[in-house]
Amino acid sequence: MKKLITGMLLIMITTLWCYPQEAGISLNYTDTELISIFERIEKETGYFFLFNEKLINTAQKVTINAKDKIISNLLDELFKNTNIKYSIINNKIILSPDYLEFNKVVTVSGIASDEYGNPLPGVNIHIEGTKLGTISNDRGRYSLNISNPDAVLVFSFIGYKQMKIPVEGRTSVNISMEPSVSNLKEVIVVGYGSIKKSDLTGSVATVSEDIYLNQPVARVDDILQGRAGGVNVINVSGAPGGTTSIRIRGANSITGSNEPLYVIDGFVGGNMEDVNPTDVETIQILKDASSTAIYGSRGANGVVLITTKRGIIGKPGFSVTGRYYVSNPLKLWPLLNAGEFAQVCNERADVLGYARPFTNEQVSYYIANGGTDWQKEIFRTAGGQELQMDYSGGSDAVTFFVSGNFLDQKGIIINSDFKRYSLRTNLDAKISERLECVLKVNFARRETNNTSGDYTTSGVVAGATAWAPTTPAYDENGIPTLADPISSIKINPIELAMNDNINESNTFNTIGNIIFRIMSGLTLDLGFGMNYNNTQAKTFVQSLMPKNPTASRSSSESIFLQNTNMLTYSKTINNIHKFALTAAAEFQLQRNDYYMAAAADLLFPILKYNNITLAKTYSLSNDFTKSTIGSYIGRVNYSLHDRYLITLSVRTDRSSKFRGKNQTSVFPSVGLGWRISEESFMQDLPLISNLKLRASWGQTGSQAVNVYGTVTSYNTSAILAGTSWQNGTLTSGINIGNPGNENLKWETTSQTNIGFDLGLLKDRFTLEADYFLKNTTDLLLSEPLPGYVGGGNIYRNVGAVRNSGFEFNLNARIMERNNFSWNMNFNMSVLHNEVTDLGYYPYILTSGGAGAGMLTNPEMILKPGYCISSYYGFKSLGIWQVADAELAAKYGNQPGDYRYEDVNGDYAITGSDFQIIGSGMPKKVLGLNSTLRYKNFTLNAFFQSMLDYGKWNFAYAQIMIAAANAREFTHRDILNRWSPDNPTSRVAAFSKTNVPRIQSSEYIESGNYLRLKNLSLQYALPRNILKWGDLTAMISAQNLLTFTKYKWIDPETYSNLGSGDQRGGDGGSYPGAKTWTFGVTLNF
Amino acid sequence: MKKILFLLILIFIGTSCSDFYEEDLSRLITSDSGALSDVTGLTAALAGAYKPMAQVWAQGLGNASTAAILMGSDDLTTHKASNKADFREFDQFVVNNTNQRLPFVWKGAYKSIQQCNNIIAAIPNATGVQATLNQIEGEALFLRAYNYFWIVRLWGKAPLVLNSHIFDEALLSISSSSITDIYAQIITDLQKAETLVANKKPAPGRICLGTVKAVLAEVYLQMTGYPVNDATKYALAAAKAKEVIDNQATYGLGLMDDFASLWVSATVNNDGNKEEVFALNFQGQMSGGSANAWAGIAAIPGDRGGWDDYMCELRFFYDFPAGYRKDVTFEVGYDKNGVWIPFTQYQTKRPYYKKLQGNKLTFVNAISMPLERMAETYLNFAEAKIMATGNPSDPDALEAFNKIKRRGAGLPLNTPNPAVDATSLTQKEIITEKGWEFAGEFCRWFDLVRLQLVQETVDKKDPDELQPKGPIKYFLPLPNVETDVNPNLLD
Repeated sequence: MKKLITGMLLIMITTLWCYPQEAGISLNYTDTELISIFERIEKETGYFFLFNEKLINTAQKVTINAKDKIISNLLDELFKNTNIKYSIINNKIILSPDYLEFNKVVTVSGIASDEYGNPLPGVNIHIEGTKLGTISNDRGRYSLNISNPDAVLVFSFIGYKQMKIPVEGRTSVNISMEPSVSNLKEVIVVGYGSIKKSDLTGSVATVSEDIYLNQPVARVDDILQGRAGGVNVINVSGAPGGTTSIRIRGANSITGSNEPLYVIDGFVGGNMEDVNPTDVETIQILKDASSTAIYGSRGANGVVLITTKRGIIGKPGFSVTGRYYVSNPLKLWPLLNAGEFAQVCNERADVLGYARPFTNEQVSYYIANGGTDWQKEIFRTAGGQELQMDYSGGSDAVTFFVSGNFLDQKGIIINSDFKRYSLRTNLDAKISERLECVLKVNFARRETNNTSGDYTTSGVVAGATAWAPTTPAYDENGIPTLADPISSIKINPIELAMNDNINESNTFNTIGNIIFRIMSGLTLDLGFGMNYNNTQAKTFVQSLMPKNPTASRSSSESIFLQNTNMLTYSKTINNIHKFALTAAAEFQLQRNDYYMAAAADLLFPILKYNNITLAKTYSLSNDFTKSTIGSYIGRVNYSLHDRYLITLSVRTDRSSKFRGKNQTSVFPSVGLGWRISEESFMQDLPLISNLKLRASWGQTGSQAVNVYGTVTSYNTSAILAGTSWQNGTLTSGINIGNPGNENLKWETTSQTNIGFDLGLLKDRFTLEADYFLKNTTDLLLSEPLPGYVGGGNIYRNVGAVRNSGFEFNLNARIMERNNFSWNMNFNMSVLHNEVTDLGYYPYILTSGGAGAGMLTNPEMILKPGYCISSYYGFKSLGIWQVADAELAAKYGNQPGDYRYEDVNGDYAITGSDFQIIGSGMPKKVLGLNSTLRYKNFTLNAFFQSMLDYGKWNFAYAQIMIAAANAREFTHRDILNRWSPDNPTSRVAAFSKTNVPRIQSSEYIESGNYLRLKNLSLQYALPRNILKWGDLTAMISAQNLLTFTKYKWIDPETYSNLGSGDQRGGDGGSYPGAKTWTFGVTLNF
Repeated sequence: MKKILFLLILIFIGTSCSDFYEEDLSRLITSDSGALSDVTGLTAALAGAYKPMAQVWAQGLGNASTAAILMGSDDLTTHKASNKADFREFDQFVVNNTNQRLPFVWKGAYKSIQQCNNIIAAIPNATGVQATLNQIEGEALFLRAYNYFWIVRLWGKAPLVLNSHIFDEALLSISSSSITDIYAQIITDLQKAETLVANKKPAPGRICLGTVKAVLAEVYLQMTGYPVNDATKYALAAAKAKEVIDNQATYGLGLMDDFASLWVSATVNNDGNKEEVFALNFQGQMSGGSANAWAGIAAIPGDRGGWDDYMCELRFFYDFPAGYRKDVTFEVGYDKNGVWIPFTQYQTKRPYYKKLQGNKLTFVNAISMPLERMAETYLNFAEAKIMATGNPSDPDALEAFNKIKRRGAGLPLNTPNPAVDATSLTQKEIITEKGWEFAGEFCRWFDLVRLQLVQETVDKKDPDELQPKGPIKYFLPLPNVETDVNPNLLD
């Protein structure tokens, strides 16, 4: 019924039609912006104005007093002191700039260009103190006749600082515009529409190209990292094309994903990885509920709006960029060499009472000749290249932006790489003055191999540290050694690395909008979108030891359809009341189809996944899911005197994932703003150029539950239910899966935000500061069930999580000279995350998976009062010292053994002594971006830091307890083990009584780091050298410096890559690389 | 134009018809889909009840954790260092409730029990050939009983749930049931299964009537000793075991002539042989989660690239009478490039179980895991008969015992041979013989507990052996993941 009403409303509104009238018009305005007068004329006459916003300065102020005039006379009067020409066709008034004015004495001309020397069309140039002026043309050229040779030219352009240049008798004045870091006239994209930044009541961070233009960005997440307060981007895998984790204002959900929602050109739920960063025009990050509630049930984790570029009228441009990458490991681990290792093994055997593994001759041999350096076997210097071409331009009727990109990056681990091909075409067509069509088509293919594999304690990197240096890498036939006889029980890391785990993702995304201007201020926007993804996966596992090579092929297809029907109406009354109303209905359907065929015991392993017919056994699986969501959206923006701002929004969502009344929910929000700097009492404070207070409250949801969460279904897979009743065969089976819960509903997040924007000295220094408080209730938990009821998990809406924190974003244009400028951006987020309620559970234990089978117990815990990434285990008290021998004996230990806290005082270290021993969530994240420009050189430095969190270094634990996957010690720290003479050591002595616990705080280290993420130097060739284009060359280094005490290679990466935040374990993750980039850009 | 607009609006209203929000369950089998209403569905469900017992690294009996959990006995020990801390806890009687090897049997048993409960509840409403339905119901009853038998022997008191197929919040706060109650349920289930199961196994990895009776005999025998101590069960055990022996041909069961022919090696493979009264079978694929990792690499010394998970204690090995069976059972050294390396030069200085090493260096075996062999029924019969009659020279008991002993000596098993045949037997002698016959398998620990011989055996350990770190314990702690959710289990 609601749908019907909305439809009828839309129909009714569209029938309100207006036609031009020819009656006389009266206008009386003093010093009023042209745009306001246009609106009045449109409203009163039915004529409407058509012009290029870039070419016509509608903000210029005019004075007019006209009585009962026909339209042409009125317009003559209106434009007489401007450089605007007009022509009338039917009911259209078409405006164009008038470049030629003959009645002036001297002609001054020149080129306006941007900070990189690119011509800048549409720059407004006027003579100070007059209303005379012009606008630069599509090649950035302007010419202006002046009567006074001492005149001062004022250059202004949206997004750039206003610049004043005295003519001083010259006839040629060229100008290089400098971007303004903050500009209140800036229009920013928000959900379902756009708004002037000054009218914004919510907390929205904007990242535009000028911030990262001097840095090589290969992926969209490179753009986001460290650019905005409250946004934490972590490269959890250092592999090219590897996983990135993005958190906006912490993590709300325990079960569901905490990744933000991506909206790409209005397509809700797009994949950021499929966007070529060059195609991005701006990214807005919606943080508070006033901004995100419009996305309702999917807005709780924040929203990232990506807008891709459009062609610009009259500026055909062709640009080519080539980049070359060279990457190296950040560092290597200090491991024992073969001689030391053999000696340590023998010393340990002597103490523990088993036969020495190495004879004296062998030890001497290894000391003299060394052994295998496993890290050198798996790490490499990796190259890469990128080619980017784009072509854009257009006429009044059609503009286009076409962009192609090819990226090929090798990983620093052998046999790991990433390729991306993308092609985008964005078209905008003005069919008529009322009708505009937008079409955006993007194709992206991503090929990865081993960038997302098993980098846990069973994986390649951990293997390279756990395999004995005395074991040769290859046998006499050149085959990777099958098994390590002395240390690791896992597969040779070289063999593992050479397995294939290939993913080929093809995404075709197309979005079409039909924008119909029904009448002045009223626009209907019908949007249709489709995102089609086909992913082909290919795996090959050599399994040399059991001689059981396996391979698999899988295919998945995802079709995602969206229809958005939006009506917007904006209206200004008496220049005091401004309204903008938005109403929309949106429907989405997502369908996934998947099948997989796996073959074992390949007869011809050399054929890998390309011919799996030749094998002894097979397994198959397939999957199908479908979900739908339907939404109705409404929003009101109102501003009074441009000072008092209010935004109200509401969205209702209905989802197929839930049952009955739980299917539908309503998400409201309210935002308030007060632009104090516009108040008259502030006008005497020229220091403060902008001051706005903002406050908002609202609710958003999360559909954390997967499809079918409400039903109990049977396991049907071979691995869970298939059995063998005759050795070597498979009988398909079914057994009961996780119990469903039909009462499931959305998680709801209520967020309060208070903040202010401050601009000083004409916005030379700006500060945005926000405090937020997010309470997530009806938290969806996947509760582990005990084995005796059948094990597994059940989803329930239990409990609550609270995130609160501060964000600061400070911009400073520290130095501004013609040849030299220095800009700086500093942002900081402080986050406090806490589970506040778990219903009837005192705590819940969960497993993050980084230990890869080394742990007996879940290593994570959820407990009210603690962060959702809390680690659970024994608290290490270091080493039993000689003075404590008597007490140690009560635990069956002796001095030199590890000592753990006995919480219940029963003189035994058991599961009852587990406690919370750390947290994996960074409490502070900082970013500092600094750009220095001197003449044609630009130097950019970008630092990032994460503070106050623990990383569980399983990779180190594994080789420092020698009791799990590694049977011997391989890290140099063992040389410094405890002895009565070395009582301060943190490493236990060899002992029969020592019981090392991998699940202890001994292996939780501070993850604090400060990293020079990027340092780049760019040089733009002076324009007069190359006549036919502009050339820019760039050299850049990523991850050049890292300051940290963390023992593994990279403090940023970790192993458990799941969607939840129960993580932070590093069992040998794929570390980040130090990458040098050389690039050249040519603009024609 | 307006018409087009109107059409567009209609289109989007049209897309949101009433079924737009209905969840598409076409891929799933749910509890409402009636999957268990016929033989096809029930057979699949039965496969799903076996799987948890054999889900190699997730749960069940199919990896070396099953050796670890029985390591309190004298036929099994582990590496003194390496990565065997969890194994050592069992050998040294200090099992932590967080021990990684502890939950495998527990979880597998209870997951299988859940499936059995489901099948047993569905049978009355199912359609199909009655004999097939009977077999399925009987197998479900047997598996439920068999899994509880493992639970009650290892943990003693434990939750007894017969309705876990329907998730019920109340189950999360129940208390453990008494040992007597659990045994009572086991006997009820097995007795009912006896009336349902067919004479012969439908497949090597499934069960026949003989399987049910053999296990029931063993249950009775176990109840004669600690902790139930019900001596009246000797007679029941003897009678039930005799039924199996007398009808072994009917059940397709029997003793193999040659002890060596029981084990898969590079030269011999009689998998699925008639001596397997009950044996888990495996697909031998990690991708299917079904592989026998208990046999193979786990039983091979590190010196030869194995995992050193379990091997034999020295006292047991030296007491083991020399002869054919000992040679088949143990690896006492190996040929390294023409040089014989005796086990005393191994890193662990212990003999390994050759009979369990399989035919290749792998943990992905597709060879049977014999949980119940016919020889055990013979020895159980011998012991029960002698204890029930009080006659140490009962001729039936002696013959059953001597068959196994003769075979162990490499002699024809049915030909009396005064050189090896016993003429009179004590219970302890039978237990000892059983220990040798089933060295490294699944008897020794339960017999030592039943007769409360654990302390005595431990006292005889070689001084170089891993020694107890605490008092001996007959039962294991409940895994902490269970008691964390439901502390009432400890009451």
